[in-house]
This record gives sequence, C-alpha cells and structure tokens, in this order.
Amino acid sequence: MLALQILVDGFAISALYGLGAVGFTLIFGVSGVLNLAHGGIMVVAALVGWWVAAYHGFGPYGGAAAGVGAGIAAAFVTYFVVVRPIQRSRAIPKEEEEIFILTATLLWGIMLQVGLDYVFSDNPVTMQPLLPGVVQIAGVRTPTNEVLIAAVSWGIIGLLSLFVNRTRIGKQLLAASINPRALTLLGFELSQIYLVVWAIYGLLAGVAGVLLATFLGASADNSGALTASAFTIVILGGLGSVPGSLIAAYVVGYAETVTAYLIAPTLRPIPALVILIIVLYVRPQGILGRR
Amino acid sequence: MPSTARLPLILLLLAGTLGVGASAPWWLGAYWLGIFTIAYYFGVFAMSWDLLFGYAGEVNFGPTFLIGVGAYSAGLLDNAGVPMAACIVLGGIAAIVGGLILAIPALRLRGPYFGLVTLVAVLLLLDFIVIFAAQTGGEIGMMVPDVLSISTSVNYWYAFCFLVVSAAILFGLSRSALGLILQATGQDRIEAQALGFNVTKHKLAAFAISALFSGLAGAMLTFYEGTASVDQMVDLSIAVQIIIAVVFGGRRTILGGALGAMFLVLFNELLRPLGQLNTFVVSAIALVVILFLPDGVLGWLLRPRTGV
Amino acid sequence: MLSNAPRLEVEGLTKRFGGLVAVRDVEFSIRGGEILGLIGPNGSGKSTVMKLIMGIEAPNAGAVRLDGVDVAGWPTHRIARMGVGIVFQHSRPLHRQTVVENIKLALLPDSLFRLIAEPQVEERAREIAERVGLGEVLDRRPPTLPFADLRRLEMAKALARDPKVVLVDEPFAGLTPGEVATFSELIDGFRRDGRAVLLVDHNVKSVARLVDRVLAMYLGERIAEGSAEEVMQDQTVRRVYIGGAIEGHAKPANAAASAAPLLEVCEVEVFYGKAQALQKVSLAVRPGEFVSVVGLNGAGKTTLFNAISGLVPYAGRIDWLGTPLAGRSPAAIARGGIVQCPETRELFGDMSVRENLDLGGQHLTAVARERQLAWLLDLFPILRERSGQRARTLSGGEQQMLAIARALMMQPKLLILDEPTLGLAPVILEQLSRALTQLRDTTDITVLLGEQNVTFALPHADRVYLLEHARIVWQGTPAAFADEMGAGYL
Repeated sequence: MLALQILVDGFAISALYGLGAVGFTLIFGVSGVLNLAHGGIMVVAALVGWWVAAYHGFGPYGGAAAGVGAGIAAAFVTYFVVVRPIQRSRAIPKEEEEIFILTATLLWGIMLQVGLDYVFSDNPVTMQPLLPGVVQIAGVRTPTNEVLIAAVSWGIIGLLSLFVNRTRIGKQLLAASINPRALTLLGFELSQIYLVVWAIYGLLAGVAGVLLATFLGASADNSGALTASAFTIVILGGLGSVPGSLIAAYVVGYAETVTAYLIAPTLRPIPALVILIIVLYVRPQGILGRR
Repeated sequence: MPSTARLPLILLLLAGTLGVGASAPWWLGAYWLGIFTIAYYFGVFAMSWDLLFGYAGEVNFGPTFLIGVGAYSAGLLDNAGVPMAACIVLGGIAAIVGGLILAIPALRLRGPYFGLVTLVAVLLLLDFIVIFAAQTGGEIGMMVPDVLSISTSVNYWYAFCFLVVSAAILFGLSRSALGLILQATGQDRIEAQALGFNVTKHKLAAFAISALFSGLAGAMLTFYEGTASVDQMVDLSIAVQIIIAVVFGGRRTILGGALGAMFLVLFNELLRPLGQLNTFVVSAIALVVILFLPDGVLGWLLRPRTGV
Repeated sequence: MLSNAPRLEVEGLTKRFGGLVAVRDVEFSIRGGEILGLIGPNGSGKSTVMKLIMGIEAPNAGAVRLDGVDVAGWPTHRIARMGVGIVFQHSRPLHRQTVVENIKLALLPDSLFRLIAEPQVEERAREIAERVGLGEVLDRRPPTLPFADLRRLEMAKALARDPKVVLVDEPFAGLTPGEVATFSELIDGFRRDGRAVLLVDHNVKSVARLVDRVLAMYLGERIAEGSAEEVMQDQTVRRVYIGGAIEGHAKPANAAASAAPLLEVCEVEVFYGKAQALQKVSLAVRPGEFVSVVGLNGAGKTTLFNAISGLVPYAGRIDWLGTPLAGRSPAAIARGGIVQCPETRELFGDMSVRENLDLGGQHLTAVARERQLAWLLDLFPILRERSGQRARTLSGGEQQMLAIARALMMQPKLLILDEPTLGLAPVILEQLSRALTQLRDTTDITVLLGEQNVTFALPHADRVYLLEHARIVWQGTPAAFADEMGAGYL
C-alpha cells in the first residue's frame, strides 16, 4: 500500500535528517557555534568511509568505522583551527564573535568542499549497505539498510539522551548549555566540556555521513545542500532545541516523501520550503525555540 | 575622517586611480577589460553589502538573494519585451521589494537567527529558479535578447561609471546625517531609540538601499553577460566571495568593499592555473585575514591614530 | 523655577515579568524645575520604573503622562520625541565617531531624507559640549576619553534633545568626589532650565543635597516619600536598608585570631575600562572566621569577590593558603576551596533542585556526595520538599538557599556569599540567618559575606570591613561598627 510505503520510507529519511540536525543544534546549544561547515564534515565522513570500504578491503564495517573516525577528526580540526581562535581572539569584539564564526565556518566549509572535490572528484559514490537484502514490513518491501538507518539513528539519539540525562559528563554538557558561568563557579573547566561536545558532534555528523553514503550516496557537491537542510530543519524546530530538531526533521522528511510519491519527485524540496517560509513569518523562533 | 594632513594625498591617489581606470580601454587588452568589468559589478555588490553590514549592523548572508531577484526580474521582463533600460530600473525596484519582504521576518530576529534567515532566502530563490526552470532557464541560465553593448570598451565604461557613481552615492550616504543615524541604529539599538530614532524604519531603509544597488548591479550584469545565471548571480559561493571582499577590504569603509572585490578578482585570475583549488586558496587566505586582521586591509590602513 | 502643572505624572504603574511583580502600583509626579530622587536597593524596581517611563518596557497597567498625554506603552523613540531624555547608567557612545559627531546625532531629526544636517546643528553641538565641559575634546573619539568625560557626553546627548523630562540613572557611580560636585552642578542646571528631573539611585545620602523630594522603593513598591531627611529617618526605609536596629553580638576572642590568614588580599585594584571599581583594597580572612564586607550597591563588593574568584583581571596580590592565586583559572580556584555564591545565584534554571545539588558535588566520591547531600537537606529542609522541582520555579528565598546549598556541596574551605538577602522578604531572611548560624556552629567553615543589609551582616561576623566607593574605609568588630557607624551609615 502506498501510504505504508510513504510511512516507512519517510521514517528512515527523517531519522537520518534528525541525526544530522541534532548534531547541528547540539553544537549551537552548548558551544554557541553555528557550524556552516556541517555538511562538509558529513561528506568527509561519507567519502572516507566509502574509500576505505571500497579500496582497502575492510568492507563496509571497516569503512564505516573509518568514516566515523574521519568525521570526529574533521570536527576537531574545525574546533581548533577555525572556531577556538576566534573565540579566544582579543581583536574581535564579543558582539561580533558569532558573525565571524559564521563567516569563518562558511569559508571552512567551502574549503572542505573544494578539497574533497579535488581529492575524490565530484562523482557521487555509494557505499555498500551495511546490511544487504530486503525485509517485509507490513507488506512493504524495504531494503534492510533503511531499517538499519532508522534503528541506528534512533539508537544514537537514545544513547545521547541517556548520556546527557544520566551520566556525570552528560549533565555537565546540559548544564553548559543552560549556564556556562555557573559551571565555572562549580569548578568545571569549560574547555574540557567543549572538547567533549565537539567529539560527540563529530560522532553524530560522522555516523550521519556514513549512513547517508550507504543510502542515497554522497559527493563533494552535497556539502552545501546538507548544511542547508540541517539548518533549515533547525530553524524550523527552534535553534538549540533537540526535541524541536527531531520534530522538524520528521515534518520535513515526511513532507518531502509525500511530495515525491504523490506529486512529483522533482518537487521534493518545495513543501519544506513553504513550511519554512510560513514559520518564519508567523513564529520566527521555530516550533520549540525560545527568543 | 582621516586627518587633514593626509587628505591631499588621498585625493591625489583617488584621482590617479580614477584616471587609470577610465583610460584602461586604451592600454588594456580585451581579456583584462572583461575581467575588470565583472570586477566592477562585483565591487557594487560588495559596497551595498557593506552599507547594510557596516552601517546598519545587519549581517546578510544572502546578498545574492537581492542580486538574483534584480537580475532575473530584469531578464524576465526583457524576454517579455520591455525595453532594456526600463528592465534595469524595474530590476532594481524588484530587488527592493524582495529586500523588504525578506527584512520583515528577519528584523524580528537577533544575531545568528537573522544571518541564517538570509541564507535561507538564497536557498529559496535557488530552488525557485530550478523548479520553474521552464521560465527561468534553471541551472543553465536564462538568455536575454538585449545586451548593453557589443563593444568591450563600451561595456567596460558602463561598468566603470556604474561603479564610480554607486561608490559616490553609497560613500556619500555613509558620511551623511543618515549614515550617522544608521550607524547608531546598528551599533546600539536602545540608545538610538532613546535619542528618538525609529530603528525599524531606518533598518528597512538600509535594506532597501542595499537592495536597490545590488539589484541594479545584478540587472546590469545580466545585460552585460547576455544571460541571467545562478552561477554568476545567485550561488552561495558568490555570496561568500562578497563577504570575503568586504572583510578583506575592511568593513565599514564602503570603498574597502570595492577594493576587496578588485583584489579577489585578481587573486582568482592569478590562481587560475590551480584549477578548482583556487577557491580553496582564496578561502584559506580570507580565513587567515578574518583571524588576524578582523578590520581588513583598508580598515587596518585607515585605523584612527589615537586622539586625532 | 517651578511651574504649576506636573510635567511627568505616573499613576498605578505596574509591571510583571512572568510570575515576578517588578513594579506594583507606583505613583508620583514631577513638576518642571523639580528633582525627584527615586531610591531603592538592587531589585527594588527603580530601574524598571525608569524603563517603563522611557518605553523600553511596556507596563501591564497604569499611566505615564507627559504634559497630560498618556504615553504608556508607546515605542521608545516616540516617547523620546515627546520630550523625555535619559542618561543611562553605563555610557553608550558611538565608538567610531568623535565627541561632536555623537552630540550632533542627538540633534538630528528622525528623517530618512535629511542627508545634510542643517548648519546650526554643528554650532549647537559645540555649544552643548562647552556647557558640559567637553570643549577641549570635541574631535576626540570615546575610546581615548577618560571615564568622567564619557559621562559628560551622556549628559550632553540628553541635553541636546532639549527634553522636558530628564531621567538620570545612578549619575555618580565611578566618579571622584570632585567630579561628583561638577556633575551635581550639571544636574542642577537641568533644574534651572525648568526641566523635570527623575534621579534614580540606590543611595539617599549621595543625592540628598541635590533632590527636592525623595521616593523610596523596595520590592517593587513605594515605601516612603518626602524630603530627603524625612525618608532617611523613616522606619520602614531604615529597616529595609539597615535591617532595623543594629545589634552586634560580641563574640569571644577567637583562638584562630593569631593563625595565618587563609585568604589575603593586598592592595588590589580593578578597572572596568576607565572606571576604577576597586582602589588599593586590602583585607584578610583567617581560618574559621566569618568576615562581613558591608557596603551599598555599587561600592565594589561583587568586583572584589570576582577578583578573588579569578573572574576579573586585577592589579595587586591575592594569596590563598600562602600562595598567590594569579594565573589560576576560575574553575581551578573553585576546586582549590574558594567557592562563590554570586549575587545572581547562577542556578541551572531548567534542571531540578536535586540535579543542581548533584552538579555541586561532582568532585566528591559517591559516598561523600550522599553524605553531604543529606546534611544539606537537613540544613535547608525546604529543599528536600522541592527536590524534584525545576530550579526556575522556586521562590526567591528558596533559590537563594539552593544556591548556597549547591556551593556547600563542594565542601569549600572558604565560602563567599554575595548579597544573599537581595530582594528577599524579611521572613526569609530569618530562615537564612538561622541556617548560617547552624552552619557556623556545626562546621569550621570560613565565610566571607558581602552585604548591604547590616542587620543581616553583623550578628554572625567576627570582623567587619566597610567598603565605600571602591575603598575600604573602616574595619573592626561588629560591636565597634554598631557604636561608630550606626547613625551615619544611611
């Protein structure tokens, strides 16, 4: 049945969108950074994962591990080379810091895109699915990989939630997003907390990138679009709100899937854009965002 | 204002540059004339961005939204039979309308939200153009029947004069009473209000002026190239280059934007042998400038000496 | 020069922020040529009243009448054009423009189409600059000007608007006595011009000579009105500021009196830009002592504590356990045993009481943490009741107790408390006081307390320092304080 097909397909793609968006909003909520190199980091993970899997005989699992590792490495480079120098710079006034970081990450994202294009060319590549084959879900033939993607995405989000709410470091992260000054007063070095959050971000972006490679494929040219879709979702959901990002990811994911199936595949991105325009005029801070 | 001792030197420099620029068709080859023609339009893009950012304090990450609206409106009208000169003017007006429509939700937001919304505007325009490819030519671009001129020299002069006139107007605005008010509204909203200025009105005005010049430049570029295309006018990479040009040349100087645009175009030419890596190198250099010389080259050169 | 009809009339003014009533039913009027002093401690609502008049916030109820016209809720720029000028507490010049350009801005009309200012604007700007004493620095830019000149520039901007009503916020903060006299003259000049002046400050004494009348506020409400002397003598005002009759409890001589100090502050100076917030401040705290630093808002207590905690740069030396603190990160200083409970409390509003406390105890082992938690919940029983509630939903007093408890979770050697009684109702102060007594009796904790409320600060203290305008002007025992300073403090 078509409705079930839409339901299943939409679920997987929304889960993937959600994973990417959660990372983007997390790094903003805790570190205060709007990382416009987000797509670039995801594609680094995707392409490295593909390359290791295809050319070095490690198979899809080895490739996935390498890809995620590359994602974490790329996140750290972004933090140390681009973001931290601006945050520490005395030449840049505090009020302009955000704008400078936005511009710098935009430039860095372009550098990543061009660099990847140079190294890997811009031909789209697909990584071998981690679980081949097809399963039947309520009568719908679905690639097992899609199920895996949805499961992994939600699994990671679930782990993240547990981490933030149950572990010591996780609670420090949550506290840092609420009141970093208070954390300093309680004897926590914020610099260490930032390291943790960027590592988690790299993990989230890396996994999202690798999963994307196994699902829809990736190429250097995707970086911009991936960043764009991440922040579209995050604006829709409310900047800094993880639940908001997840809800928005599903709104966008399903809107796209429904359009692709019922109207025309080429018009896929339209509904999300229309929703975004409406939200911007009616409630610019997003669904769950706070002004 | 720079100290009076330096004023004659600056005027001399300015006159010299204008002289060199105006005379170029007599001693520069067609290839370079073409490069500079585009650079001049780029310069107007950059200067109008600086008016909005440096003066009204609003970071527009999607200046190409305004440029694109101007360019494509002019192109569509031309294809519909409207005379070219009218198309250019109407393109500018369309950009103003587009700018105001963008400004309304955007101005209700602060800081990072505002920047992101302007980025979204560009994406929306890009998607719009691609989706309605039948009318707009999609990613290939839209040809227009009219061009400004077939002669390289004439095209160069059109661009040069446009740059000089725009620079004079924008620079004059920045130094005017209105410019002072814009700076206040951009720097300290509450203080500006306490001094009796309607901040929203002034920011909308800044948007409109920036949009006008961006749109006009976009329209003129369309009639120079003979096509309106996303690659040259709407793409995010163009937006980034505009921002690089202003940051490099110096924010809040207006003229720094034009200077930065020249540098950028020259860099791109110099690095052409590197192929696609030239974008990488230019971005890297811009990144370094942002980190170490946040006031840009011109801003650094013209920094006020303490006291006077 | 008094005219008869009031220029500014405020009636039934009320403002709520969520559940907090910042201003309740405030009423007063000012005639031309009159200066009304609006006095109150931090949190009293006086700054909110000023913002409500200026349109920076919109009132929930009430009227603000300018020459009879109700402007309540109007946007700020329209109220400004109606004739209200404001001198903010913190200078806000345009940094890239010269002094004369800054003043010219204030003279410009709100028009999009006036590209060139009228010729008399430049002249008028210079006149105004001369009047406030900026004649020598017309072409200089704000970053190069001394603090007092920046304040003059703020006055000049307000004057340029030729306002009928002038709102002045804490005009004397950061000025030397000589500068205070000059500025008083300038404000008096406003009165002579026939303008109605609202002077907002936290200290009646400093404005007594300047104002015609005083209105005192506390917790959003009017508590007294009259001449400066009348208000200073008013019982309610004295109770709110000093906390009623000053009692000292003579403490038996402490054995620790001869021990080496835990904390030694030597000739510390702090500058915020141009303003000097601390001037050669020295004090010492010995093990087991309870030291109170008494002073009004703005005296420098928070700055002092921030210097000790490593949050602001300073000149001079601060030694802890014999070694200088310089160069250590604020987090390291906190882990080293100096824990500050700041004026703003800095709770994690969206986390529960229990989670806030747990974060305080993160450096302890699980066993030690449980023990500490149990002890603290005994000390502050209300927190046990509210354990699962979000910190943001607690009342002011409960939040203060949570902040202190959270700080105590770190098992500090030195606990710094900055204005714990700020904005709290008297009955809560009793509870806090009892908790502090119990703390002192059952542990050997060392406490450094900064307070404006003398009745709260004295009973527990072994020694008292008086901080006034960035300097320590007196030190001694609580008993001596009561004797010597009692009458003159306010």
